[in-house]
Amino acid sequence: MNVATPEVLNLTELLSRVDNDQELVTELLSIFKSVFPSHLQRLSDAVANEKPQQVEAESHTLKGMLLNLSAARAAAIAADLENLGREKKTAGMSDALTAFQREAEILLLQMESIEFQQ
Amino acid sequence: MKILIADDDPVSRRLLEKTLLQAGYDVLAVPNGMAAAEQLCKQDGPRLALLDWEMPELDGPAVCREVRKKKDQGYVYMILLTSKGLKTDIVTGLGSGADDYLTKPFDSGELKARLRTGQRILHLEGRLVEARENMRFKATHDALTSLFNRGVIMELLGREISRSRRERAPTAILLCDVDHFKNVNDTHGHLIGDEVLREAARRLLLSVRSYDYVGRYGGEEFLIILNNCDPVSAPRRAEEIRRSLSDTPVLTSIGPLLVTMSMGVHQTANWGVQSVEELLHQVDSAMYAAKAAGRNRISFTIPSDTNHVVPSETARSLR
Repeated sequence: MNVATPEVLNLTELLSRVDNDQELVTELLSIFKSVFPSHLQRLSDAVANEKPQQVEAESHTLKGMLLNLSAARAAAIAADLENLGREKKTAGMSDALTAFQREAEILLLQMESIEFQQ
Repeated sequence: MKILIADDDPVSRRLLEKTLLQAGYDVLAVPNGMAAAEQLCKQDGPRLALLDWEMPELDGPAVCREVRKKKDQGYVYMILLTSKGLKTDIVTGLGSGADDYLTKPFDSGELKARLRTGQRILHLEGRLVEARENMRFKATHDALTSLFNRGVIMELLGREISRSRRERAPTAILLCDVDHFKNVNDTHGHLIGDEVLREAARRLLLSVRSYDYVGRYGGEEFLIILNNCDPVSAPRRAEEIRRSLSDTPVLTSIGPLLVTMSMGVHQTANWGVQSVEELLHQVDSAMYAAKAAGRNRISFTIPSDTNHVVPSETARSLR
């Protein structure tokens, strides 16, 4: 088993929460990878178009998904974006989005590297 | 137990679904609040629900409010799932009608424990509803025969007469009295008397339509209301009811007993201004006329206040 860096994706915590059901973890990661691009696109559009309400809603959804996958760092940046959206602070959104995109790239790479032994 | 999961996040939805399937629940997972409200408002819908707070169209608190509007169904225990941590959010969520909340990401042990709490509440509610229904039945039905008791059959009579007056619809009122019932009690004892009354009640109930009413009016007296019973059919119907008892002996624990009844009948579509008490007095007089004429027969009231006895088969003595 190739364990991902805890700071990006805490696989030990994730496995513990699903009673070590590796099949379920694989399925959850697969679901995330399939829906993440469209969510990221909607978030990027909302930031570009300065629509704080949409930024808040989209980053809230992403935060929930990331927390469920024990991806705490990306979830924290999504939470920052959610707060900016709620407080209608459009100025800081672009930087936060860049940070989120960078973190997401690392996260997706970590996810790709996860393999469970049969 | 059936449980509904509503979450627009497919990762969370699948995680919950798998966790609860493994815990032995019958899981119904939906992706939005509209679908959740629809399922939970169904008469036979899930009674336990996990609702994500943030959902498009209808969020978790709005689903709770929709479900709580429905008063005519069993209680639904709802838990809100949220990553909102503020006390004001929690107060808002519980104020919408949710029973509990759980913070995301959830711990499966805590989730299962909170669901068990919900199940305990639902189980308790089920027992209370059952107890209430039992009490309602006892308050409206006669303990010996399980027919409507006197209070209820009188109320139904009042309602039915009002309806008949309003709609000018024909209705027949039948007052039946088991013949020589005192002899049954004196000769065979009260337990056998009870068996006779129970069987008489059962046969009366079987001989009327589902929308007619049968009640225990007094000791061995039964009141029957035949709705929409036209004057041509009433004598035939009354005769069928009388024969439902007299044609076949009642099987008691001391053997078969031939039991008959006398019946007073009032039937009309033109109710005038008589009170329920006056009508009952008339039908009671008709019943006594049937008794006086030899029992095991029917007597009809007529508007002139004289009773017209319809001879039936030869009166039999109670054996």
